[in-house]
Amino acid sequence: MTDDALDNIDNINTSEAFDAEGARQALDVLHDLRRRRKRHRLGDIEWFDAAYRVYLVALFGGGTVLWISSSITDTTVSNSAVADVARNGPALIGMITALAFLAAVRSGAQGGPLALEAADVAYVMLSPVDRTRALLRPVVQRVRSSAYLAATFGAIVGQLAGRRLPGTPVAWAASGAVFGITTAMLWAGTALVAHAIRLPLWIATTIGLTVVAWQGAALAWHIPGPTNTAGSLAMWGWRQNLVDLSAFAVAAIVLIAGVTLLQLTSLDALARRSSLVAQLRFAVTMQDLRTVILLRRQLNQEQTRGNPWVPVPRWITPPIPRRGIASVARFPATRLVRMTAFAAMAGVFQAMVMRGTSPALIGTALMLFLLGLEAMEPLSQEVDQPDRTDSLPIERGELLVRHLIAPAVALIPFAAVTAAAAVAVLGTRAIVPAAILALPTVVAGAAGGVVSIVRDAPDPTRNTQQAFIPPEMAGMASAFRVGLPILVSALAASTILFVRHAETLHTSAIGGAIRGAIGAALLAALITVWVRRRDRWKRTFRKFMSDGQSYKQRSTA
Amino acid sequence: MTELSTRQLTKSYGDRPALEPLTFKVDSGANVALVGHNGSGKTTLMKMAAGLLDPTDGSVQIGRHAAGSQEARRLVSWLSDTPTFYDDLSLWEHLEFVARLHGVTQWEDRAEQLLDQIGLTQRRDDIPTTFSRGLRQKAAITLAFIRPFKLMLVDEPFVGLDEPGKQALLTMFQAASQRGATMLIATHELSFVTRVGRLLALRDGELVYDGAPADTDVHALVLPS
Repeated sequence: MTDDALDNIDNINTSEAFDAEGARQALDVLHDLRRRRKRHRLGDIEWFDAAYRVYLVALFGGGTVLWISSSITDTTVSNSAVADVARNGPALIGMITALAFLAAVRSGAQGGPLALEAADVAYVMLSPVDRTRALLRPVVQRVRSSAYLAATFGAIVGQLAGRRLPGTPVAWAASGAVFGITTAMLWAGTALVAHAIRLPLWIATTIGLTVVAWQGAALAWHIPGPTNTAGSLAMWGWRQNLVDLSAFAVAAIVLIAGVTLLQLTSLDALARRSSLVAQLRFAVTMQDLRTVILLRRQLNQEQTRGNPWVPVPRWITPPIPRRGIASVARFPATRLVRMTAFAAMAGVFQAMVMRGTSPALIGTALMLFLLGLEAMEPLSQEVDQPDRTDSLPIERGELLVRHLIAPAVALIPFAAVTAAAAVAVLGTRAIVPAAILALPTVVAGAAGGVVSIVRDAPDPTRNTQQAFIPPEMAGMASAFRVGLPILVSALAASTILFVRHAETLHTSAIGGAIRGAIGAALLAALITVWVRRRDRWKRTFRKFMSDGQSYKQRSTA
Repeated sequence: MTELSTRQLTKSYGDRPALEPLTFKVDSGANVALVGHNGSGKTTLMKMAAGLLDPTDGSVQIGRHAAGSQEARRLVSWLSDTPTFYDDLSLWEHLEFVARLHGVTQWEDRAEQLLDQIGLTQRRDDIPTTFSRGLRQKAAITLAFIRPFKLMLVDEPFVGLDEPGKQALLTMFQAASQRGATMLIATHELSFVTRVGRLLALRDGELVYDGAPADTDVHALVLPS
């Protein structure tokens, strides 16, 4: 070892002049590095491939929006409905902001919303660079991406609303976008502040739930709600109240406060999140939904309960349902709250469908799909361990079907929540139809989650040679893989249309509900049969294809 | 002068304590080994000293500065047992970046010498995320030494290293120590312990030994309770 190699140890300079100059130089170096890495990334992009992806997103995204738009009748709603929107709209839309606030304050308490690369934590955050300025760019990127997403969503929903409500679709789209940006800014700022002040999770949850409950009370009893002004901002496409701008101002102030507190960012949280977020991005790229869910749970530090809420009853002896109940009984409180929210939102969306907003079916489908993914944890755990599954003395399809029993039973209280939410919006006349339709719809809707879980599982019947998909078909196969489970949930949700149709014809809504319930039950049964027989059907199909190829080769020879 | 000091330093994860209240000082220029069984709290202690983990209670000081502060970050070089790298920068670019971040302007000669010593000259233009475990460790060592420091915190430095790599690292540690740097090295390599002047041993988060390595049975110290 030469002495020269360790000169740096002698070169430590602790003078104040070095501090100021060193910090400035370090920032310059950081900016230089980021520019250089950007050049590397741009150089690595396959531009034709990127353009093709943009084309696909524009085609499918734009097509979906146009389809939803065209499905909305252009007839404006009645005067009483307009009055109803004017009275309840700000509180109802404001609930979205309240829920975003709840998510933000909890995210901040759990170390969010920023996630750096692990190497950035190791080298940049541990160097003497000014952390506030070093973190400014990740913050800007986070705010920019969430604001863009929220603005796009707000604009789409806004232009849909503008087709039935007073005001032009363009004005509604603009106000929807401003509402989205406001909510995104509030979300990011709140999370940054909660992170910086190290808000304990239980306090964060209490504060967030208080705001949501207050907003819920505002919706129910027409008292001023904390996020009514934000909700009202979304309705500027129709009428404008200057006071609504205060929501934007408050969101901006909270965001600025969050940025000024960046110096207090916890490296502990950044280090933990950095590796998880990298895996999460990869899983999203690979459309690996199960991994995304598992990583999200780790990111939120969501642990399965050590002690179950209730012990598994002794009289339940079959091992697979016992295992399922043991799993469900250990769901953490946060997951149960989340599932309750999905169920309640599904009820609200179904009520919107009953009132004539057919695209709300998509909302119901998404909620039921997510509810299904959460509830089917025992099935997912089995699918996560294919080697163990194959070692059991039971056919795989039979095993998977038995894993559906406990989650299906666990969905009963959530179906009650869905029914209650729908009744809360539609009134007492909906009690009986909701009671009849809720459970079959929720169970069949959750079957979308089952399809996703089972299709994502490693396929024991497939050999790698046959698994090859031509590049021309890869996009279609990928879209089918993502879309099919949602389609199943959407079919389940659409059973509400039997009730709406009956009401339109002034016939018995109960009769419509019974027809819908039968349809949903049939769909659930169909999915169960598919899970049970899937492997066998695939083997038969592949054998048929293989025999056909052999026959063709023999004929050619 | 004290380079590293802890006062009632505590860390717990939920209800599980990882480090019981811990108070000790390391003088400037000292060469200290930290041993303990798996899960004894070594990495937790090192990460809190590096400013990577927030203490549940108590404090860590680097010189007169709180661990993790801007001043402390200038003084501490952290060599982790799980090296991380950017996946779009070569090793040479990593060296440039880290050196310049710490105000080293004439870094090229130094980088070449470090690479030569550790045996990575031929790989300087490769991406370190593609390296094997041992080469990644060597790359991390060059990055820890390219920058100025007064205190080096090292966690399991010998894992994955071949014999020439180990010898090169030992020589670097020795030279750094001779030049006045303070070294705190957490390791399971008990043969290394004889080379240091002071030994700290942790068991289940508690400091069970603080003294000269020659005065104790090191093998008994690393057994879990």
